[in-house]
Amino acid sequence: MKLKNMFKKTGGKNYISLTEGRKPEVPEGLLRKCNNCKAAIIAEDVRRGYYICPKCHAYFRMDAWRRIETIVDPGSFEVWEEAILDGNPMGYPGYEEKLQNVREKTGLDEAVVIGKAEIEGRKVVLGVCDGRFLMASMGEAVGEKIAGAVERATKEKLPVILFACSGGARMQEGIFSLMQMAKTAAALKRHSDAGHLYISVLTDPTTGGVTASFAMLGDLILAEPNALIGFAGPRVIEQTIGQKLPKGFQRAEFLLEHGFIDQIVEREKLRETLGKILKLHPGQPDRTAQTKAEEMQNKKQNEKEEEELCQIREMTSWERVQVSRKKDRPVGSDYIRELFDDFVELHGDRLFGDDKAVVGGIAQFCGEPVTVIAQEKGTTTKENIARNFGMPSPEGYRKALRLMKQAEKFHRPVLCFVDTPGAFCGLEAEERGQGEAIARNIYEMSALKVPILSVIIGEGGSGGALALATADEVWMLENSIYSILSPEGFASILWKDSKRAKEAAEVMRLTAKDLYEAGIVEQVFAEPEAFTSETFAPVTEKLREHIRRFLKTYQGMEESERTERRYQRFRRL
Amino acid sequence: MIKKVLVANRGEIAVRIIRACREMGIETVAVYSQADEEALHTQLADEAICIGPASSSESYLNMEQIISATLVSGADAIHPGFGFLSENSKFVELCEKCNITFIGPSSEVIQKMGNKAQARSTMIEAGVPVIPGSKEAVRDVSHGAEIAEEIGYPVMIKAALGGGGKGMRVAETRETFAASFQTAQKEAQMAFGDGTMYLERFVRNPRHIEFQILADCYGNVIHLGERDCSIQRNHQKMIEESPSVVIDEELRSRMGQAAVQAAKAAGYTNAGTIEFLLERDGQFYFMEMNTRIQVEHPVTEWVTGIDLIQEQIRIASGLPLSYRQEDIKLSGHAIECRINAENPDKNFRPSPGTITDLYLPGGKGVRIDTAIYSGYTVPAYYDSMLAKLIVHADTREQAISKMRTALGEVIIEGIDTNIDYQYEIMNHPDYQSGKIDIEFISKWQR
Repeated sequence: MKLKNMFKKTGGKNYISLTEGRKPEVPEGLLRKCNNCKAAIIAEDVRRGYYICPKCHAYFRMDAWRRIETIVDPGSFEVWEEAILDGNPMGYPGYEEKLQNVREKTGLDEAVVIGKAEIEGRKVVLGVCDGRFLMASMGEAVGEKIAGAVERATKEKLPVILFACSGGARMQEGIFSLMQMAKTAAALKRHSDAGHLYISVLTDPTTGGVTASFAMLGDLILAEPNALIGFAGPRVIEQTIGQKLPKGFQRAEFLLEHGFIDQIVEREKLRETLGKILKLHPGQPDRTAQTKAEEMQNKKQNEKEEEELCQIREMTSWERVQVSRKKDRPVGSDYIRELFDDFVELHGDRLFGDDKAVVGGIAQFCGEPVTVIAQEKGTTTKENIARNFGMPSPEGYRKALRLMKQAEKFHRPVLCFVDTPGAFCGLEAEERGQGEAIARNIYEMSALKVPILSVIIGEGGSGGALALATADEVWMLENSIYSILSPEGFASILWKDSKRAKEAAEVMRLTAKDLYEAGIVEQVFAEPEAFTSETFAPVTEKLREHIRRFLKTYQGMEESERTERRYQRFRRL
Repeated sequence: MIKKVLVANRGEIAVRIIRACREMGIETVAVYSQADEEALHTQLADEAICIGPASSSESYLNMEQIISATLVSGADAIHPGFGFLSENSKFVELCEKCNITFIGPSSEVIQKMGNKAQARSTMIEAGVPVIPGSKEAVRDVSHGAEIAEEIGYPVMIKAALGGGGKGMRVAETRETFAASFQTAQKEAQMAFGDGTMYLERFVRNPRHIEFQILADCYGNVIHLGERDCSIQRNHQKMIEESPSVVIDEELRSRMGQAAVQAAKAAGYTNAGTIEFLLERDGQFYFMEMNTRIQVEHPVTEWVTGIDLIQEQIRIASGLPLSYRQEDIKLSGHAIECRINAENPDKNFRPSPGTITDLYLPGGKGVRIDTAIYSGYTVPAYYDSMLAKLIVHADTREQAISKMRTALGEVIIEGIDTNIDYQYEIMNHPDYQSGKIDIEFISKWQR
């Protein structure tokens, strides 16, 4: 049955309203429109909700003051109002009036607000660009404010956080504007050389000369979802190459994939994430108090524990090879989750891409910041494919090296978990220099100034493993393997028959026991019979204790002694 | 007086409101989702405006769209019905800011009564009995035992972050308190990562008794007697009746007075409901206040002769109450059964789909509030209630008999319903003799 137009309607008399004053209407400012989904939304919801559309979750641009409100501890922001360079260096007609107008309209003196603040109780120097001020373009005043703030941060030994958003250099100031790129970058270089942390947060849009200077120089670079980030603007590129650009081009996600930013952080989580990162960078490590307590504990522990060399079960080498490749064996990320707190994953090699076969970042280990790098196979088939079955590309090794260099700058030890059938063997890997990437890692790791520990948790496949295992000590799990080549490859090269892998395994001396006896590895950890992420708690418990002792020992050494020992460790082989 | 009402709801309650308005000569505007183009409320109203896709969050819960529809249609008031935005203080605040008359209480009252702790303290201040319980959080056994002593056994131990019965235990006596507390706390710690507990008096097998109240803008508050809604499944009411067999004139006047006090304390206007738990010994406790019209309002309408929706509109228009307390007389007995599109044999799984054939009963003392018709497709997006069958007779026995007769006549083909299930309840000896409490269904299921 169709009901359309079947019913009689209300017998309507039309009244003239006598209560004109109370006519329903939307008061000014109650609703606003989302430019993305076009929906009408309640302005108050936007204000209270981090300037995110409650309907489609698109991000509105935030002005500097609102940004500061959402990032710093309440009441902690102390604005630094330096005298502003008020020039018109090029004598550009109408520029002064334009500046005057914008100043009146925005209440800002220039396109960046600078000051000191606390985030989750930690002091930082904070600079926030404000897009309302000539699209936050960088002229002399902006450059001066930023360089000045960074210099002052260096003097006061404070980390710097800059929220970038900019159309680029300020055209009206011509070549003087270009010079601000050098000025800000140089100030940041000095800040970095003094060992301080700089976090750059890229917001929509960050382009031009700002991208090509302070925005891309962070020790850590974070970005807001979907932020436009690029050097040349998309319109300029399209006009130059005469082609349409793909969807998502120059968005934060695109940059993440291409290895240029560490993490995309949702606006609601920015403050928390910054807090976590700051906590992991406590400045000059204050070891004295901590060490004493630990020493006491260590002494006790040492007395108690006798060196129990692994109660290793009897198995053939080939059986162990198979166990090391088992699908349900714990993978790198399982160890990260189990052994560390506050893990902040950092992505990208800053050159070409982000390799998912290597997971790296910073975390707390027993209350101390460390850099963690793990080769990661993934657990599901989908994940296996995404992570290329744990076979790293050159980008993976370059990311690892970048994180190790970062660890060196911040005096953090490096902990590596090795689990790879080998470095990825493919056309693209060769094009981008797989051999060079591995070599570079071995080369740099051999002299890295901080302690390095590598634990082989599964397969230690050749150079692909060594590129994360040129360490002070290398440990192995009972059923992990470490070899020049897979037994299949070995059999095929020497005997021209890959089916003789079983036989090869027996002669290759690739088991933990063999390698321990050969002095290639320092420790072996026994595994329970069925070794999965459900049953590996006792193993990680033991690992934790031994890692703690390793750090204690190696951090106690002089830097030169440590690198010398590492040198000799390989020299004698 | 309100001239044009936008009905911000769907289904039978939207139809009910449109009818009340039409009888009063008030124009109506329906809003509907893309799934409800063929719905009765859409077709019945003078005007209808589509406010979005099928999902409730994008249509019937979309505040901005509903406000825009109100302004565009020139309506001066919104009736929210029940569910959806009816108890959303933010929505009501928006209406207030936009000079739209919201047919219900103020945003402030809704906010206050929607907050459990605030509602409870308001009631304590007004002298309305609440379930005795710990005011502060309890973390250790000995402190808990002291408080339990004050409250009196049996005691209910509840996790502060609780839900789904986890971290909940009843201690019958002081001897078992420590063990029960520790088990509950351990469970809470496991489930919610927090062992903060609350204690309250455990009310054993109570009845759910609620009082309908009406309040105008001039401080006049009356109650319209009780509804006994003890027949519930998983806290969902199934059958409601008025009056309750266990309430005599004296108790009715005491509970009614408490309800009026509660409404006055809250600064309430318009129609509302105060829910109580009633123990066997006649002790009753405030549970919560519903700041809207209820599904089961027709049983009250039938025993009092008052049209609650029309009264709501009058109150919202600024008119004083049409009745005084002494005008309210309960006559006869009314029962309501909710007819749902669900399959009781398959754990009450919802059963949307097209109604191929339909026959609904009628006759003296039989009322059906529904929005279904032959050929109507019940969408899967919304509540599964199809219809409310309400009967009225001089006595409870006669009302039950009438309900059985009417249920026996209902024919809804094409989808599953709970009609047979309701019919069986009507034949249950405990229901017939009025021996019911909120555990009735769960005991019967077992």
